[in-house]
Amino acid sequence: MKMPLSRRDMLKTMGTGLGTIGLASVLGEQGLLGATPVVGAGRVDPLAGKVAHFPAKAKYLIHLFMNGGPSQVDTFDHKPALVKYAGQRPPSVNLSTERKTFNLLPSPFAFKRYGQSGLEISDLFKNVGECADDLCVIRSMQTDIPNHAPGLLMMCSGSSLPIRPAFGSWILYGLGSENRDLPGFVVLCPGRPGVVGPQLWGNSFLPGVYQGCHVVNKDMKPGNVIAHLRNPAIGAAAQREQLDLLKGMNESHLAARAGDPALEARIASMEMAFRMQVEAPEVFDLSGETAATRELYGKGEFNDGCLLARRLVERGVRVVQLHYGSSENWDSHDNIDHHAKCARRVDQAIAGLLKDLKSRGLLDETLVLWGGEFGRTPVAEGNSTGRDHNHYGFSVFMAGGGVRGGMAYGATDEFGFTAVENKMHVHDLHATMLHLMGLDHEKLTYRYSGRDFRLTDVSGRVAREVIA
Amino acid sequence: MLRDVYLSGHPTIFPPGRLRMKQLWFVIMLIALPALMAQADAHSDTEFFETKIRPLLTEHCIACHGEKKQKGGLRLDSKAAWQKGGEEGPVIVPGKSSQSALLKMVRGTPGKPPQMPPDEVLPEAAVVDLAKWVDLGAPDPRQGVATTTKEIDWEAARKFWAYQPATATAADSTSADHGKAIDRYIAAGLLRAGLKPVGLADKRTLIRRATFDLTGLPPTEAEVQAFEADSAPEAFAKVIDRLLASPAYGEHQARGWLDLARYGESHADNENTAEKLTFAWRYRDWAIEAFNKDVSYDRFVKLQLAADLMEKPGDDPADRRALGLLGLGAVYARPNDLDRAKAEQWDDRVDAVTRAFLGLTVSCARCHDHKFDPIPTQDYYSLAGIIANTQNATVPISPADLLAAHDSAAAKSAAATQAAKGFLQGAADRIANQRADHLADYSIAVWRFNMQKQDQPALKPDAIAKAAGLSLAEFAALDKYLQKGNAGVQKLVVWQKLLRTKSADREPTAQVRELAQQFQTMVKDQLAKPFGVKGGRSADSQKDWFGKGGIFPITDELVKANATPEWKTELASLEKAAAAAAAAVPAIAQCNGVADIAKPADLKVYIRGNPAKKGEVAPRRFLRILSGNDRPAFKNGSGRLELAEAIADAKNPLTARVLVNRIWQQHFGRGIVATASNFGVLGSRPTHPELLDALAAGFVSDGWSIKRLHRRMMLSEAYQRASTSDQANMEIDPENQWLWRMSRRRLTVEEFRDATLMVAGNLKREMGGPSGDVDDVNNSRRTVYGRVSRHDLSQLLRLFDFPDPNISSDRRTDTTLPQQALFLMNSPFILQQAKVLAARVSAEKSSAEKVRAAYRQVFARMPSDAELKFAVGFLDAADGAKVGLTRMERFAQAILASNEFFFVD
Repeated sequence: MKMPLSRRDMLKTMGTGLGTIGLASVLGEQGLLGATPVVGAGRVDPLAGKVAHFPAKAKYLIHLFMNGGPSQVDTFDHKPALVKYAGQRPPSVNLSTERKTFNLLPSPFAFKRYGQSGLEISDLFKNVGECADDLCVIRSMQTDIPNHAPGLLMMCSGSSLPIRPAFGSWILYGLGSENRDLPGFVVLCPGRPGVVGPQLWGNSFLPGVYQGCHVVNKDMKPGNVIAHLRNPAIGAAAQREQLDLLKGMNESHLAARAGDPALEARIASMEMAFRMQVEAPEVFDLSGETAATRELYGKGEFNDGCLLARRLVERGVRVVQLHYGSSENWDSHDNIDHHAKCARRVDQAIAGLLKDLKSRGLLDETLVLWGGEFGRTPVAEGNSTGRDHNHYGFSVFMAGGGVRGGMAYGATDEFGFTAVENKMHVHDLHATMLHLMGLDHEKLTYRYSGRDFRLTDVSGRVAREVIA
Repeated sequence: MLRDVYLSGHPTIFPPGRLRMKQLWFVIMLIALPALMAQADAHSDTEFFETKIRPLLTEHCIACHGEKKQKGGLRLDSKAAWQKGGEEGPVIVPGKSSQSALLKMVRGTPGKPPQMPPDEVLPEAAVVDLAKWVDLGAPDPRQGVATTTKEIDWEAARKFWAYQPATATAADSTSADHGKAIDRYIAAGLLRAGLKPVGLADKRTLIRRATFDLTGLPPTEAEVQAFEADSAPEAFAKVIDRLLASPAYGEHQARGWLDLARYGESHADNENTAEKLTFAWRYRDWAIEAFNKDVSYDRFVKLQLAADLMEKPGDDPADRRALGLLGLGAVYARPNDLDRAKAEQWDDRVDAVTRAFLGLTVSCARCHDHKFDPIPTQDYYSLAGIIANTQNATVPISPADLLAAHDSAAAKSAAATQAAKGFLQGAADRIANQRADHLADYSIAVWRFNMQKQDQPALKPDAIAKAAGLSLAEFAALDKYLQKGNAGVQKLVVWQKLLRTKSADREPTAQVRELAQQFQTMVKDQLAKPFGVKGGRSADSQKDWFGKGGIFPITDELVKANATPEWKTELASLEKAAAAAAAAVPAIAQCNGVADIAKPADLKVYIRGNPAKKGEVAPRRFLRILSGNDRPAFKNGSGRLELAEAIADAKNPLTARVLVNRIWQQHFGRGIVATASNFGVLGSRPTHPELLDALAAGFVSDGWSIKRLHRRMMLSEAYQRASTSDQANMEIDPENQWLWRMSRRRLTVEEFRDATLMVAGNLKREMGGPSGDVDDVNNSRRTVYGRVSRHDLSQLLRLFDFPDPNISSDRRTDTTLPQQALFLMNSPFILQQAKVLAARVSAEKSSAEKVRAAYRQVFARMPSDAELKFAVGFLDAADGAKVGLTRMERFAQAILASNEFFFVD
């Protein structure tokens, strides 16, 4: 009996139908040993779906990147002691961060318990609070350096230097993609990120096919989201005819060179690109979404980004990274009230995404990661009412994708300055994310320059406690 | 018996003989008993260890703390090893489980869960056993080494093929025998593998291959025809020589080197704030010139490491541009972690230098001895030490006489400028002095106003200011200045206090008058000092008092308004002289290079790469595996020149091999050693080791000439083979490692862009100079002159597999993406080239003539009848509606996007 295709299956297969061989990409000696690659005619298709190291629930990843560093004590890590010791500087917080800090600054935002789990979340994330029982808040995050550039790089690539592949590239390398008409790793960022740039989604030494495809989701026109997606001079019919001419020339060239997969791959890529011109704008066109859905996500650039993220994973895109603005927008050195503005722009959208994924049955197989590159100090920066960067302790949350919901993992000290319990370095987070996606962070290696590189370098511990 | 002795009370009264016996027994028993007991205990302790502890350690610990891995530097697989401990010191205190870190790790401490093993919690019984074992004194019968890393067996290591000298027979080592020696070795390999080589390529294929390989550009139709018409046996040799003599050779060859040199023109961190690499392109230009001049490779190596240290009189100072290899290295801005940033920068240079020149991955030995190759951590820091004693520097590259002329003219210019400035300043000072002469009065007026204001808060200063002879702006500025209590002007602090003190009659006290006078004197004293020279007037004070935005802003306009016509003439003449002197300073050129630091010193090993944990000293010297245990320490400055000489030494077994292998890879698509930058244990073994040696030895004896090396390789039959497939061969050797045919390759992004521009007739050929933007459709220069950003690489370069300029790269990956196809279908670049190409052939009369012209222009050949018919069919078809490109333009675009254009047979 033939099972009817689900909407998602249809979305994924739409416009494909090419054999593996036609898609084969010719790679050099480097070898592509992500997980188990599909091999055809002695060549490897680098984007072919691969068998994960072990069975896992999460197939897709959405990273809601709160660049700039949201404060943990104002969002997901409630610290009543800040009120009690307000204006004081107890010795235990004598840690140096990027800039000079002074005394303990209580959060201006109230906390409440949400859901059956009773997770404590501040008013900034009231809407997300409604999804509390799906959240696994990690309160013991740590990273290495309290500056934006190294922090952003560490979160995105596991190294504070701009010389390593992004985790999205690693995951795509490890698992391949399910949709050939779209890039497997899409980055939605309204502009070029200020301090680091495209290195945040760069493939570094991994082959170019794994690079993040940057979609500028500012004033987005569905026809222009991918470079050169539309021909400025000729329409589809004329282009089809032109491509048939090209195909004819290529086929006569191929006839004397039969069986060269590199030539075939290039021929196929032309056809794929032709379809992509139709397919890609469709994905980025939100006009087909129902009013109820649009309302669920709310209005705004980030809101649309969240909806796009769902549309992308729905079509089999492996990793979507959505940036909140292209600069370090959560950065709140002068006044922590700035967080209210940021939260207003993301809270409903994130809750909408979580609820929408859940109602479509996608949350189970989509790992959602929320967080910045570091957190913020519980003490004020200088004489201000803002907070400095804090790499000693901060919060992120994961949801879906086989993560245990309604829990908090790890803890910071009584003021929320430094992680003290179940410390989770970014390497550990990456190891855990890979694990949730069926990849062993110690086995997902790429040989370059004489050694096997990993996303987690020589570190990383899977926090099994957070896995459902 | 014991009782006997005990009861005896006074042993000495016992008869000597008998008592002595008894005493002896006693002594023996005293000594032996514990020993006997201990023996029994030792037996059971060992048993306890063997039954309880060894299995526990094996199951839960040794995987990460044993021979294979030593996390935290700790091994638990021998007694000596745990006695030595890990990075944090010993983890077992025998007899004291409560003080042993091991127990804390597995048991956890209050508020902290167990840390080890990382993925599980030890069963309680196991923890109890472990504690018991430690309390017993941690008996451990296991012998074994204490070291966390295996000692390198140098004797064995040196036997590895790559460290053996390259030897060659006399017949191999000359370039006169063309490619015959090469073909002998290739033939032997083919025979062994049971492969039959395909035939030779036709001449058009061959010249297209050779032209792309050597110049990165396609041949013109005229060049193809000339070669086809030349039936002389040395016809191909002539083509090679022509190509090697072409300036395009250096442009193409340099780009390959720039990949290895991780050439970039900006830093990855942040283009806007990081150290600028303004003159990066000078290094690129040097490389192009060096390849074109066929600078001997040993010198090519040395110049890049030590051009500044090896310069002799008469040498071209422009060779210093070669220092860009080091001088363009990454600079990381890590204000909170300077030590680590520096260490990363050393690593960048060590990695690029050792991989590019030696094919060694020395960088792997930064945190621990190299896991596979004989490179101890100390060797890494020996090389890092050379880098650490070298700093980035902007280096002049003009000839010495020009530099001298520049310096002298620059000094004259500075003097003339100062003369004009001084003249102007003198006039300004005269006005300033006039104001300063009344500063005490002015200040008292301000004081008075502040006093009166205490009684009349709404009081405006107008009247007081006017009476004192101050403008309102001056009055406000002086008031503000005095209120601020400038820290640099001590007296004013007191003044500030006085301002807040009410005086009974609102009249200035003697102290106020005194302070006002002192303030005036201070300003006058400063004005008496010359301005703009060291030790002269305080620049800050000058700015506060008389600068723009100061109390009395004395602008040039004000000065000129107060000046006499004579003064103005004098100033004009001085300014004219200054401008002339400035114009007379000759331009000098500079590059981003390096220089030694003043006081060189060795580094200490960073244990596990941690700058905070320093170990033994690593004297600056070369790698032990290549220069022996008793190699000398480098004494000359940073040691760069000595390092350069050690690398470029003809006796170095790697340098020549690595280079000839790179050139081989360029011509055959794959190196004799497939891992071109890794000749170590994890690298590939040579498919044709004797051939590699013959080439390397021949290369050195031939004066390290890269041009002649190309010639030798290209004159071999192996190079001239067709790229046609063969079913039987494919089954044996699908990767073509035995070279039964030529491997088809695709164009690099540079070749693709340059060739497209060239066949469209748009390519601009001027060489050198600052870089342009390759994403700019109006930029028609070769891609090698395009900007290479480490921060934000060009879209085009990124799309077509240009390597990350942050890391040395030894080959291009080839990925085929639909986004590349989109570029060919829709980008402004391709559309523009298609239009130009279409226009070039538009003069032809018929469609057939146009197609022929386009084929000749793009493929340097005539179309076949079938191709012609197909293309004419397209051109002559009618468009239903208006289309934005003509049929000819659409045809031109298709031909530029074709596989025939993009691949080289």
